Amino acid sequence: MNNGLTPLTAPTEARIDEIGSTDILVGIPSYNNADTVGHVVRAVSVGLAKHFPGCRAVLVNSDGGSSDGTPAIVARTVVDFQHLFIGDQQSILHRIVTPYHGIPGKGSAFRTIFEIARRLKAKACAVVDADLRSISPEWIELLLRPIMDENYDYVAPYYLRHKYDGTITNSLAYPLTRALYGHRIRQPIGGEFGFSGALASHYLEQHVWESEVARFGIDIWMTTEALVSGARVCQSFLGAKIHNPKDPAADLSDMLMQVVGALFAAMERHEQSWTSLEGSRPVPIFGFPYEVGVEPVHVNLERMVSHYRQGLTDLEPIWRQILAQDTFEQLHRLQEASNSDSLISDELWVRVVYDAAAAYHKRLLPRDHLLKSLTPLYLGRTASFVHATQGLTSREAEVKIEALCGTFERLKPYLIQQWQPATVSPAAPALLQHTTTDAGGDHEPLH
Amino acid sequence: MNHFIEQALLGPLELLGRHLLAILPNVFAMGIILLAGLVIAWGAGSFVERLLRIVGFDHLCDRLEVNAALLRGGIKTDPSRLIGRTLYGTMIVLSSIAALGALNLAPINQFAQSLLAYVPHLITAAIILLAGYFLSNFASQAVLIAAVNAGLPPARLIAACSRWGLQILAGAMALVQLGIAEQIVVVGFGITWGGIVLAGAIAFGLGSADLAKDFLERRLAARSKSNTTDDLHHW
Repeated sequence: MNNGLTPLTAPTEARIDEIGSTDILVGIPSYNNADTVGHVVRAVSVGLAKHFPGCRAVLVNSDGGSSDGTPAIVARTVVDFQHLFIGDQQSILHRIVTPYHGIPGKGSAFRTIFEIARRLKAKACAVVDADLRSISPEWIELLLRPIMDENYDYVAPYYLRHKYDGTITNSLAYPLTRALYGHRIRQPIGGEFGFSGALASHYLEQHVWESEVARFGIDIWMTTEALVSGARVCQSFLGAKIHNPKDPAADLSDMLMQVVGALFAAMERHEQSWTSLEGSRPVPIFGFPYEVGVEPVHVNLERMVSHYRQGLTDLEPIWRQILAQDTFEQLHRLQEASNSDSLISDELWVRVVYDAAAAYHKRLLPRDHLLKSLTPLYLGRTASFVHATQGLTSREAEVKIEALCGTFERLKPYLIQQWQPATVSPAAPALLQHTTTDAGGDHEPLH
Repeated sequence: MNHFIEQALLGPLELLGRHLLAILPNVFAMGIILLAGLVIAWGAGSFVERLLRIVGFDHLCDRLEVNAALLRGGIKTDPSRLIGRTLYGTMIVLSSIAALGALNLAPINQFAQSLLAYVPHLITAAIILLAGYFLSNFASQAVLIAAVNAGLPPARLIAACSRWGLQILAGAMALVQLGIAEQIVVVGFGITWGGIVLAGAIAFGLGSADLAKDFLERRLAARSKSNTTDDLHHW
């Protein structure tokens, strides 16, 4: 266990000493979010004032060195409570605006927030992205109330999204997390979370802060860590999520590598947790579900299919190493099929993902290469999903996603079989038996 | 006449015979050393190979990712056998040098000494070639994946160019290390490499000016310009 404290700046240390302790802490990681952070700070301030008037609260902005004045906006944003029908007898909302130390990335920003939460002995915490446009004060209540009043440890967001918004979540993160850990958390990489102070301390004690988790993949890491630690988990309905578009120059293969790499790494760390689980169970949803109109999404199906087909031709030797022979042959047969037939079915996609996870585990290729080589396959699968759901409503498309989840669960024995190390010769000594449970060994249930 | 025969024919023959008799023990010694070297090299190679197998060296290498690296480099032999065969080869070379030394002839001794002095260069060159081979395979795989993900049609050609470029570079470095045609290698490599870069730059500049402009605009200037072809949100 790592009992060392995360380094904080001297002014932050002084501010923590000044504040002493708190009931609630809301963290906002940021990097060049001057356009939107003011709105986020106002929503958080109003949410705390309206829904938790008697609680001591701290707002922490953990900034990655913004050059557009984001921290200054956080520090000076004020809210006129009079116009929001909120009485003026509010407890003071303290603000801590601090840069974070360590590897640049959202994970390091979160680490600083967790550390401040631990030092201030916060009972309930929430984190919200600084690029949100649709955040409302109600989000704060929905993320914190289950922790404060219902003794939950972790609150995942539940958004309404267009059927083609969040395709990595729909085709990978949600079905795989659900099949592995047995909990139906619809948005495991949502970005907005609520968690208890105890869980924040648990996160800090994990030896991941010098790894890729510090850079990216923090969202899926938090969710899986909460699940395997035995935390009580729920979801809160937040409505539609609208945020500033991601950097258009951001590479899809990098994004995919972040999520899939974090998922596969968690599978290695928590092998014992998921291999013994079967099926899945629903996770309670708080909040009042309602329908919202979502912006239409234009999809260039032809381009995705073209990427996928190029992968089939050019990456064949690499995929041969990653995929099981049967899986590869099924893909190969699609190469000769006509455009409309060259679709990746649910079952084939699940086998591809499970084979890739096993190949990652067995280090059949350099891991970066393996993860990045999955991009055309993912595009092929996404094209298949778009093709199959073109005339459907988002609700009907959701039924398809549920069916995919069912296939992930049904084929889990195949994953376990592929995951096992290759047969070891009788002469091999005990030290050669593959063990991957060391990192997961120091987890203690929260309850 | 008899005197002539004795002096012109028998004399040299007698001398040759004496010389042969003098070096015969050395030749025998050379043969024995060579034979012993062969037997010991075979025995030591096999013994080390078996020993490494028994102690599970291959599985240890597997866990240390050495096997995967070898496989990626196109070497399908397991590490135990690889070390056994390397030891065998090294001992054969050393016993051959020792056997030549047993002849105790000045030119051969000199040759053996220069051969020994050359061994470090040989080892260095072999390491350079091996490293170049592994690096080129790794780099070409990375280039291939990146090019496919970027949707570049000649992805395989680009990857092959990167592989051969690195292997040629490693080969040139190895030749310089061995002292073979150093000047020619350096100058030839410089001219070839410079030529390729210049040709590539001219071809790209003339043939793909629009592509270059578009690429630079997207990369440097127009980060805010939205991608109009697709607004699918993957995350």
